[in-house]
Amino acid sequence: MKSRAATIARYTLLEALRTRLPLISLAVLAALVAAGFFVEQVAVTEGVRFRAGFYAATARWAAVFILALHVLAAVAREFDDKALDVLLALDLPRSHYVLGRLAGFVAVAALIAAAACVPLAWSVPPAALAQWGLSLAFELAIVAALALFCAITFNQIVPAAGFVAAFYVLARALTAMRLIGANPIAEADVFTHRAISFVVEGLALVIPALEGWTRTEWLLDQPAPWSTLSVIAGQSVLYVVLLAAAAMFDLHRKNF
Amino acid sequence: MKTERPIRQVPRPVLSLLVLALSLQVTWQALQAPPVARADALSAPPAPATLRAVALGEPIALAQLMTLYLQAFDNQPGISIPFLQLDYGRVTQWLAAILELDPVGQYPLLMASQLYGQVPDEAKQRQMCDFVYRQFERDPERRWRWLAHCAIIVKHRLKDPRLALVYAEAITRQARRASNWARQMRIFILEDLGEREAATVLLGGLLASGEVTEPREAHFLMERLKTLQSGDGNSTPATKN
Repeated sequence: MKSRAATIARYTLLEALRTRLPLISLAVLAALVAAGFFVEQVAVTEGVRFRAGFYAATARWAAVFILALHVLAAVAREFDDKALDVLLALDLPRSHYVLGRLAGFVAVAALIAAAACVPLAWSVPPAALAQWGLSLAFELAIVAALALFCAITFNQIVPAAGFVAAFYVLARALTAMRLIGANPIAEADVFTHRAISFVVEGLALVIPALEGWTRTEWLLDQPAPWSTLSVIAGQSVLYVVLLAAAAMFDLHRKNF
Repeated sequence: MKTERPIRQVPRPVLSLLVLALSLQVTWQALQAPPVARADALSAPPAPATLRAVALGEPIALAQLMTLYLQAFDNQPGISIPFLQLDYGRVTQWLAAILELDPVGQYPLLMASQLYGQVPDEAKQRQMCDFVYRQFERDPERRWRWLAHCAIIVKHRLKDPRLALVYAEAITRQARRASNWARQMRIFILEDLGEREAATVLLGGLLASGEVTEPREAHFLMERLKTLQSGDGNSTPATKN
């Protein structure tokens, strides 16, 4: 049965390689590299720093956007073409389908993260680049799992894409929201402030604070301690497992 | 057909995995130390050429965004930085960059004279007034009112009437369309400096030039001229602001 999950993972990877995903990813990264060189040209000083910083920040957003849309479109297409119905008619547990799909998408995430690292190879220290790339791969794995969960749960691309985008932005802003809530400038005792602060603290328990992942300052200023990377890896694995379990739960409850 | 099957259809291992993963996630996050607010230093603004490129043909919109960023910089997440602790060299760089993008905008000069210029630090007040003076010289007709405000600050708060006179004379000399009260400021500063003769000559010249057309204002200035000529040293209420 495990080999069937592995087969699904392999076909997920093949699907990614045989669609336009590699071309689009490389074209977007190339465009960002070109834009980075433009930024370097207009900067009066610290040109390389400007280029690397611009590329790292924008490549991170672009990778998340491309991967999330790819996962959503792939799963939605499978739903629309009734390919999933055929698959589930075989002797294949639904959870194995989720595991196979997830493994394939995580592999795609790793490839995109690796591709995003290449243009930085000549501009930043290798250790810092390794940290940045690993962290990006972990972040993209979370995004892939989230997009898979949303595609299965919402069944339609628009609400699923909206949820993924809102979740990602919230996860990147969560720490700032917690700080603002914990240290109000005025009217700390107002009920609405306490209620919002309570909600934000509640969200912080179930949403990873992604602003701590894949930081550009690791490349430009100082590499992160490797212990930070291990915490990120642990948190990423846990969150991917949580999302996978949630996706399996939803898929098991679906009627086809 | 119902679109959802009952929860009992979900295999027990999947349910257990979901509950376990959720519990671990909540426990993990609950055990993390709460984030600590940390004040970031104000970095230098990008070079003007970069800003022009980043503006994508909308320099005014970018200038407004930068203004709001600078204005809100003292309120960082979870921490409030007193203006006094800001690096005023950087602040003036930001204000200058914003004015480069939007030369007609008055907001940066208002911030310089009315916001950052109000801190209880003489050096920083002088830095802001100097910035306003330099920017005034680039566009006197639009920016004279902020220099007038700085003239009042240096005269009454910094007790430096000589510098106030420099500012007031700059307004009179360069801002032809400035309000009369601003253009007449130098006369009263000269009077306060004890240079009655110069003040008398200037005030007499102003009245003779016909620039003052408002009858009440002309009457007030005439009375002031008579006082100066008679040697009575009482200052006008206007100079006591």
